[in-house]
Amino acid sequence: VKVPHTIVGDRKVFSVSAFNGGIASWLARLPQVWVEGEVTELKRVDAWATVFLTLKDPGGGATLRVTMSRRRFDALALGIADGEKVHVLGRAELYEQKGDLAFRAVTVERIGVGDHLAAIERLKRLLAAEGLFAVERKHPLPAFPRAVGLLTGSDAAARGDVEKALASRFPLARLVVCETRVQGAGAGEGIARGIERIGRHPEVDVLIVARGGGSFEDLLPFSDERVVRAVAGSLVPVVSAVGHEQDTPLCDLAADARASTPTAAVRLVVPDAAELRARMRMVHGRLGRCVRDRVARDRERLEARHRDLGRLPSLAVERRRARLDHAGARLQAVAPAATLRRGYAIVRHGDHPLRDAATVAIGARVEVELATGSLAADVTEVRPEAPAP
Amino acid sequence: VTPDERPFEELQRALEDIVARLERGDVPVDEVIRLWQEGDTLYRECARRLETVELRIEELGIGSRPSGEPEPD
Repeated sequence: VKVPHTIVGDRKVFSVSAFNGGIASWLARLPQVWVEGEVTELKRVDAWATVFLTLKDPGGGATLRVTMSRRRFDALALGIADGEKVHVLGRAELYEQKGDLAFRAVTVERIGVGDHLAAIERLKRLLAAEGLFAVERKHPLPAFPRAVGLLTGSDAAARGDVEKALASRFPLARLVVCETRVQGAGAGEGIARGIERIGRHPEVDVLIVARGGGSFEDLLPFSDERVVRAVAGSLVPVVSAVGHEQDTPLCDLAADARASTPTAAVRLVVPDAAELRARMRMVHGRLGRCVRDRVARDRERLEARHRDLGRLPSLAVERRRARLDHAGARLQAVAPAATLRRGYAIVRHGDHPLRDAATVAIGARVEVELATGSLAADVTEVRPEAPAP
Repeated sequence: VTPDERPFEELQRALEDIVARLERGDVPVDEVIRLWQEGDTLYRECARRLETVELRIEELGIGSRPSGEPEPD
């Protein structure tokens, strides 16, 4: 390329336009390339022949000014908006008048599912290597949260489900709702900010991130790096209830727990008040039964003692009565009258009963007492010793 | 005769002593009658006391049924 210049002394000097023209012609030799980035600052005005936008790397934030003919842009009919990830085909171009570098696009394509999947896969490996999905990072869910945070779109269904489940299950916990755009351009950033904001709420002890089912693209923000980092760094435990069972957005991996639906998420974060009441009733019942059983046992023992007590006095009297009867019978057996009735007699001399024949003389008068009546008798013979039997 | 103030058990022992002595047969006949009469008195006193206790037991309903429960059919 020949660039016009002048010689001043030993210097080769270019004019600005010559310099720019030179650079521009160098740039024009570079090949056409595809560049991937997030669309920002898109300006399409009917009166302008050129559409302007800025491409941005989502992570690093490096930017590139892109221009495109409005006619070409409109012909694509993509309806692209800020925040979308696109592939742009074009080449570097210098606006010679200003020396500004821009990327002249010939076509724009919305990023395909395969590209998104690959990007998500790359991000997943990166974040996994950082340890964001590690089990050790997971926090246990609170047993009795004061308030439950809910981050959701202006999607009445998810909110209604959570409200209903919370009211029926554990109405003590308040619900703090943060509504934000959950799909389309800028959704990732909004969700990430919402998670941070709701986590700082003084009463929120656990956070549910809910999003009903949707297309793959609809759920993309929940794999956005900012959202995944916000979930992993949340001050309170996060339960992810995003999409359906088979979708696994990256925020699911960073969350402390995962639920298939918003209702299931509520079941995870609050206890069931009815179940608690039932358990309390059961424990209370068991307590009552213990006390009643104990009292019943004591009463039974007491009754047994009382029965013993009732028997014992009679028993004691009976024993004494038997012993007394025995003594009485023996007493009757040795009664003097009974002895006389058997044929014995009492012989008296004077006032003394006689025991020894030798103590009376022949002719003495003695009294003989019989069972019935008595006799007066004179002694006619004395035999001092009884003959041997 | 003044009522005997001794406890029942003592009276019963005295009665049994008398019976045992009378059964041995070594008691003088005059003594026998006195002793027997004493034994008889002890027996009546003991029997009277037992009857009194039995009466009290019945009055108090001891052993008839546990208190506070209805009488079984």
